[in-house]
Amino acid sequence: MDIKRLHRRHALSLLGGAAAVGAAGPAFAQAEPAKPAQLVVNHSGGSMGTAMRKAFFNGFEKKYGIKVVETSPVDFGKLRAMVDSGNVEWDLTEIGGQDAIRAGKANLLEKIDPKVVDRSKYPATAQNPYVFASSVYTTIIGFRNDVFKNGSQPKSWADWWDVKKFPGARSMRNHPTDNLEFALIADGVPKDKLYPIDFDRAFKKLDQIKPHITVWWSTGQQPAQLLLDKEVVLATGWNGRFYDIIKKGAPVGIEWNEGSLKQGSFAIPRGAKSPYWANKMLAELAVPQQQAVYASELGYPGLNLESLNFVDPKVKPFLPTAYLDQQFWVSDQWYAENGTKAAELWNAWMLKKG
Amino acid sequence: MSASAGSADLLIEGVGKRFGEVVALDHVSLQVAQGELLTILGPSGSGKTTLLKVVAGFETPDGGRVTVGGADITSLPPAKRDIGMVFQNYALFPHLSVAANVAFPLEMRNVAKPEIERRVGEALAMVELKGYEARLPRQLSGGQQQRVALARAIVFDPRLLLLDEPFGALDRKLRETMQLEVRRLQRRLGLTTIFITHDQEEALVLSDRIAVMNRGTIQQIATTTEIYERPANDFVADFVGESNIFHGTMSAPGTVTLDGGRALQVCSDKPAGTKVGVLMRPERFAGSGANAFTGEVIESVYLGTSFKLRLACEGGLELLVRQPARGALPAAGTKVTVGIDPESIHVF
Amino acid sequence: MTGRGFLPALPALILLFVFFLFPVVRMLGFSLEGGTLDWYAKALGEQLYLRVFWNTFEIALLVTFFCLLLGYPLGFLMATTTPFWATVGFIFVLLPLWTSVLVRTYAWMVLLGRNGVFNRTLMEAGIISDPIPLLHNFTGVLIGMVHVLLPYMVLPIYGAVRKVDPAIPAAAAGLGASSFSIFRRIYLPLTLNGIFAGSVLVFVLSLGFFITPALLGGGRVMMIAVLIEQQVREALNWPFAAALSAVLLVFTFAVYALAQRFTRTETESAR
Repeated sequence: MDIKRLHRRHALSLLGGAAAVGAAGPAFAQAEPAKPAQLVVNHSGGSMGTAMRKAFFNGFEKKYGIKVVETSPVDFGKLRAMVDSGNVEWDLTEIGGQDAIRAGKANLLEKIDPKVVDRSKYPATAQNPYVFASSVYTTIIGFRNDVFKNGSQPKSWADWWDVKKFPGARSMRNHPTDNLEFALIADGVPKDKLYPIDFDRAFKKLDQIKPHITVWWSTGQQPAQLLLDKEVVLATGWNGRFYDIIKKGAPVGIEWNEGSLKQGSFAIPRGAKSPYWANKMLAELAVPQQQAVYASELGYPGLNLESLNFVDPKVKPFLPTAYLDQQFWVSDQWYAENGTKAAELWNAWMLKKG
Repeated sequence: MSASAGSADLLIEGVGKRFGEVVALDHVSLQVAQGELLTILGPSGSGKTTLLKVVAGFETPDGGRVTVGGADITSLPPAKRDIGMVFQNYALFPHLSVAANVAFPLEMRNVAKPEIERRVGEALAMVELKGYEARLPRQLSGGQQQRVALARAIVFDPRLLLLDEPFGALDRKLRETMQLEVRRLQRRLGLTTIFITHDQEEALVLSDRIAVMNRGTIQQIATTTEIYERPANDFVADFVGESNIFHGTMSAPGTVTLDGGRALQVCSDKPAGTKVGVLMRPERFAGSGANAFTGEVIESVYLGTSFKLRLACEGGLELLVRQPARGALPAAGTKVTVGIDPESIHVF
Repeated sequence: MTGRGFLPALPALILLFVFFLFPVVRMLGFSLEGGTLDWYAKALGEQLYLRVFWNTFEIALLVTFFCLLLGYPLGFLMATTTPFWATVGFIFVLLPLWTSVLVRTYAWMVLLGRNGVFNRTLMEAGIISDPIPLLHNFTGVLIGMVHVLLPYMVLPIYGAVRKVDPAIPAAAAGLGASSFSIFRRIYLPLTLNGIFAGSVLVFVLSLGFFITPALLGGGRVMMIAVLIEQQVREALNWPFAAALSAVLLVFTFAVYALAQRFTRTETESAR
């Protein structure tokens, strides 16, 4: 429903912006356009920014002599406002999976130029014309290995729901994505039959676990911190965050089984100032050696499947690409269409007493 | 004199107070008789306000004691002292009506409502503010505000009344009216009162006795006439009234030789060789006298009832002289001769 | 407004228009997009949103109450103590404003967590046997919000107390008032404006909170700003977000008007 709305809004704004966009469009098909002084890349910041600079930006700056300016955070609302107003500050932005799909449909993005960005080594699902899949991450179980010793941690979502066999305070994300799927899997739905999601069944299952969730987390570093402080002994979280504290010696382990995979994405906003050079940057992000540097840093491997060949064998067990078969892909497609409804139901469910 | 030790109502004994390095009060002692109005007169920084605060209980002295009617109040909190005080800027409660301001001390003493009403009415009648009960302080003139402050300070029959430079903010005419009114009220109620001021004229008008303070000590306590006519030292002589003060030595009985060489006939039996101070009040000079001075007018001012002249006399003496305003005001440069009798000269 | 009084204020008025009035009008426009009141009907008709509005109001009220409870004595002490201690007080009161919300929140986690300093100390002292849940619940949200909003209460109260001529409470004491009477009859009515200003500030700021409740409330405490933010950033439903914001805005103005009216009559009747 709100996609339709976006279409309409954009149609209106096109009257004003079409000329500028049209002029920039075909330019990079011919000779290489002039180099801009800088290229603005918007991403989530934090350790991710540091890793990106190390793996990609420094090399890019050296190779082309274009300064890479980093901004954050990732904000879909801001992206839409920029494109609507015709004042696009970002040449390239990170974008959430479902947002990327909606943005592509809503005509907020430039197409990626296949002549510049080689994605032939990418899985077919990761070749969306508007969206560049930069990395894979997964939401999995992190656990205190001083509490669950010698592999005694919950190994499935059914185990996670079994509070008698696996007692202890738990933390899950304050968001419908992942949790709806986990509930269905715990309730016996096969991993490949999750979508479309059966809300009633999922929430009914979630009712059972609700009293045992100490913290519903809302920022990515929370689960790792909660485990470190022993505020909880089990937490769902993004693999990179657990990888980070494990690297630093925290008594924390990762259970990869039945994790929910998502891709980190980058896209070029419609009307970006230097779309050609944004494509050049994407090409840089697709280099397997550089992806390996990035993966070793954060635990988020790229989708160029060759990149695993360049990763230190000690790092490999911490990369979700090593466990793809045991996990499932979250359907950005489904969330792009049902995300709003899911969020409303989720909020209402959170407000319920008990 | 009137304040003999037996009838002392307020007794301050050896009170001292330091603020860091500064000695605000240096072993101050004084007594105030029942019903007496004692003025503490001194320049700012002389310690008079600190002394008042010690009496009211807002400052704790480092030593000494304060008794009222024989009871030691040195360490009582202000609320327990039963002292009515009028502050410099009146310190009226800005959010309370006139009536509520005056009722405040009675309410704090849990006086019954009808009784409060009666006494507030009386007090307001006494300061001639009937009909102003419902006004807020900011709706009153300065003089009216002061009357409210006064009514509030006396309505609960305090043991003592303290007035802290209460007339400073009023214009001259109003100030004179209020001074007389306060005096009348204080007499009528027989309230033992301490009045603080730096204005010597005001002190002379109001007081039974005056205590002159400087640098944390009392320079002299005496009746108004005594303070004016027979000051104890340079400071008192200079601070109270206009004065010509010189220094010299008793050269013979009844004769002072001033440091400049000029000899004066005086009434003093101090032995020869004594270092003395000499005070001549400007208004005590006449056209002639036992001690004659001739000098050139360097400044002359017409004051209505009198001329004020500054004369440069022989031997480098400079005299301030007041003469009845008769005839023309002597112009600068005119030679004038004045004289003063020995009994008009105060030797200290 | 006279012509002469108007000119110097012009830059401020333009600024106010560009940065305040214009966005608000624009927002109201969004909420009425399509010429319908549907989004308002949704905001005021669905139980989810009513519940969250009510939660928000409840939390804001409680935060204001506790800020006042802590802020009045603090502001009072700072206004009446020596300049040295007043400065120390200022530093401590203002510190949370200079700290990022994440640092502040994690500091609270270190202090109040199950294995935090507070619980460990009490358990080691044998006062409690199980940790008291101070975080990831309503209590945690209150603590975190009161902490960061306290300066907005303390500063106006500090200012109001400073404005009271010290001779006035001294006069009251001299007239026989106990410390409590001086507070109740003198300071309280004379600082009512400060209390009002501080309370309105804290209340209104509370209404817009969302990071602290999310982090310290364990996800259980939902405030309207969270939902508005979701609508703006995730759902991209700006008309609905605008309608929710407009309801919040109207509500805020209503509270403000009510509070102002209340304090005015209070001042006048405080005889």
